[in-house]
Amino acid sequence: MIPAFDINPSAIDGNALTISVVGYVIVFLALVLLSTVFYYMPKLMGIRWHPKKKNTGTVKSGEALTGEVSAAISMALYLHFNQYHEEESKHLTIKRESRLYSPWSSKIYQVRNQFNRI
Amino acid sequence: MKKFLLVISILAVLGIIHASLHKAGAFNTNETGQTTGLNVTDEASGSKSLLDGITKFFYYTGFKNMTTGHLIMLVVGLVFIFLAIKYDYEPLLLIPIGTGIIIGNIPFITQALGTTMGLWQAGDPGLQLGVYEQGSVLYYLYFGVLKGIYPPLIFLGIGAMTDFSALISNPRLMILGAAAQVGIFLTFLGALFLGFDSASAGAIGIIGGADGPTAIFLSSKLANGWFMQNGEMVYEQSRNLIGPIAIAAYSYMALVPLIQPPIMRLLTTRKQRLIKMKPSRAVSRTEKIIFPITGLILTTLVSPSAMPLLGMLFFGNILKESGVTNRLAETARTSFVDIVTILLGLTVGASTQADIFLTSQSLLIFILGAISFMLATAGGLVFAHVMNIFLSKDNKINPLIGAAGVSAVPDSARVVQNMGLREDPTNHLLMHAMAPNVAGVIGSAVAAGLLLSFLM
Repeated sequence: MIPAFDINPSAIDGNALTISVVGYVIVFLALVLLSTVFYYMPKLMGIRWHPKKKNTGTVKSGEALTGEVSAAISMALYLHFNQYHEEESKHLTIKRESRLYSPWSSKIYQVRNQFNRI
Repeated sequence: MKKFLLVISILAVLGIIHASLHKAGAFNTNETGQTTGLNVTDEASGSKSLLDGITKFFYYTGFKNMTTGHLIMLVVGLVFIFLAIKYDYEPLLLIPIGTGIIIGNIPFITQALGTTMGLWQAGDPGLQLGVYEQGSVLYYLYFGVLKGIYPPLIFLGIGAMTDFSALISNPRLMILGAAAQVGIFLTFLGALFLGFDSASAGAIGIIGGADGPTAIFLSSKLANGWFMQNGEMVYEQSRNLIGPIAIAAYSYMALVPLIQPPIMRLLTTRKQRLIKMKPSRAVSRTEKIIFPITGLILTTLVSPSAMPLLGMLFFGNILKESGVTNRLAETARTSFVDIVTILLGLTVGASTQADIFLTSQSLLIFILGAISFMLATAGGLVFAHVMNIFLSKDNKINPLIGAAGVSAVPDSARVVQNMGLREDPTNHLLMHAMAPNVAGVIGSAVAAGLLLSFLM
């Protein structure tokens, strides 16, 4: 099947061009607006992603660190640089499974009981 | 071999029955040889009655009413199913659509044909089987497509399953989602150039948004066959483009892994494809809750016509992120969206009835859709290069992620990830690509709303 081309260059008039240009610009503006809001959102919310570290103590130069301390620092640095992760809700829930009694699932009717009695 | 022989034998038997019935004068034929009626007599005696019974049965079978168009569409349906199973191309969409195409193209005696043949009177409802026949089951299911009901419901599910944190952590990538919408507007002009009316051109252009529900939503409003003529609303079947547009949009979405990579390779150098981006920062829960609310208000204020889509998208996301409506979010992103997807896919597929779907217009729509997709991909990639000009050396973005701006969630982001890994097995771009990807969904919905308000 060969498509019937009914070429109509005059259809691309000022109105059509206006719709295209204005439409594209508005799509852009909408997302730029959203983007700008979320660019400044952390600042607006006063969130500091890299809070200033409190000076809790100093380690004198030349003082040897134990292996455990070095491992802990290494682990912390590794997690900080490589394991970026979403902040989770930290809610843990345990679902209790309720098993209704049924002779079909009853322990006393199990096949193995026969062998246990022997 | 045995099965093959069995099929051949059945076809041969049916052929013999058909020939013998013609010989016996069971069918009325006109000068061109086309069957126009059925000679069914009330004689309840002997072989004549039996012949009438067989004739009537045969007349109602699909074999009798099969045309080349039906056969082509059945093959198309089978290809869809094959692509989904063999190559895993969007199976959740292609299986329902492919099956729908087969269902929609099993030939039967339509109301119009039955009336012509004198099987029933002009006002009779007929067999009420097809998607376009009032009163049929498929007609009622198709109502959701025709009136644009399913797309917002799908968007609710998408909202409830989308994590916008990639977008929130790197908001500048949102602009790539807007840049890729260039395909919509250029295809709109292309469709006008090829002789489509402005409303149809708008509906065709949205294929470049690479978003099936958005394409169906807009085409159900702009290209549903109804138009104003001399102050009256008139229906014209040739102006009903919902089927071709929906099939084109979903087909190209499924073919994203084939369409995008050549354009991505063409518009980027190997050095650019190797760019590693900084990992995204963590996003707080508060930000995740604020995003859908702010997004809803800002985008719908800009484009109120997109409210059914964007409203539902952000509503679904609020359900997810609020943390207090887990039951609703869980339902929206699982059973609910699955049910709507099944109904949407099946009915869109069934709407491709050969006599209505196989037109030169549909072929043009497919060509324009492909161009639209390519332009959108190119638009995103080019804009990523433009952004890199203004970004510092340490903050450069990998231009490949621009291609994900075409929406088609999450397939185009997956294509970007695979492309990045092929160049450098340690360069994971998926999370970065998800930002323009979901921004593309918002961008295409805004564009749909704008086209609706301009062209309705």
